[in-house]
Amino acid sequence: MQHSAAAQQLTPEGWLPPPPLPHHYDDRVSHANAVRFGMWLFLGTEVLLFAGVFTGYFTFRAYFPEAFDQAARHLSLFLGTLNTFLLLTSSLTVALAHHNAERGKNHNAFWLLVVSVLMGGGFLVIKGIEYHEKFVEHALPGKFFNFAEITAPGGPVFYVVYFFATGLHALHVIVGMSLLTWVAVRAWRKEFSPTYYAPLENAGLYWHLVDLVWIFLYPLLYLV
Amino acid sequence: MASTSASHAPDAPHPHGGGAGRLILVWLALLALTATTFGVSQLPIGHLHLPAAIFIACLKVVLVVLFFMHLWHAEGSNRIVFVVSFFFVIVLLFFVLADIATRFPLSNSRIPPMPQVDQKLVPSGMPPGMPAPTGSHTGEEGHR
Repeated sequence: MQHSAAAQQLTPEGWLPPPPLPHHYDDRVSHANAVRFGMWLFLGTEVLLFAGVFTGYFTFRAYFPEAFDQAARHLSLFLGTLNTFLLLTSSLTVALAHHNAERGKNHNAFWLLVVSVLMGGGFLVIKGIEYHEKFVEHALPGKFFNFAEITAPGGPVFYVVYFFATGLHALHVIVGMSLLTWVAVRAWRKEFSPTYYAPLENAGLYWHLVDLVWIFLYPLLYLV
Repeated sequence: MASTSASHAPDAPHPHGGGAGRLILVWLALLALTATTFGVSQLPIGHLHLPAAIFIACLKVVLVVLFFMHLWHAEGSNRIVFVVSFFFVIVLLFFVLADIATRFPLSNSRIPPMPQVDQKLVPSGMPPGMPAPTGSHTGEEGHR
């Protein structure tokens, strides 16, 4: 690859030439496969991280079924459903950004990523509104709990699970938005092409995982 | 896809994921499943709510993983990672829940419900039964 000489010059197709191939790879295909495989391994560990949270949820739900039932009725079904819609749609726009980037359409990919980041921000704002409501009601974990409408034992435990699960998820949303912003900047610079789009693909895989976690959190916290 | 593949360098990774139309179809299916899980949760089916919600969530996960995350077209090694990590999640959940389901009643499940407390009598910010912020050690005894 004539990378170092013409680093900032667009190819005739309208994108930057890819960075040099690390010398221990035979070709771009095996490099891209290795990078993707590494991301999947990382996502496997993320799945196991959230598995611990869900195990805690099921355990405490089995101990305090009435409190979990009462507390779930005090969550806003409307806001939770709206957030589900936002995350599913942002997953679509990220998938479409990947679809465009691997065809060298950096301009489309950039705007799709901007829309995705905005939807992630909308998710966090709505989550913040829900958190504020809980703080006002003193529907809080542990010794900070003082919410008279939950009479069954275990109310404070529900809010430990609720704030830990949604807080850890929100942290992942923030990290995912940062990654998407980073690859959006790179799409703006026209760095992605049919031979090189692994960073955008991996940031997208992370964002889809954030979506997957919410797909489970939404029915477990809000619906059942 | 066939029209764009001509512009690829010889060693380009093969673009996968099908057309944009399929991604939008998957998104519509995900929204439909969200509406379904919402609708099912309003039905009077009692203890079937939880299995139904988990089943629909699993369907949504399969759609996202196969099409948005491209596992449908991915190399076998990537599929193994995800399938194995999901298998371990099931192992973890199964044995923990089997343990809980077969236990005798735990002492903490017999805690009587908290008494209804008149919120006007509780100092603001303090849970019922806790000493008032200004209360001395002896004052705490006097409360009870």
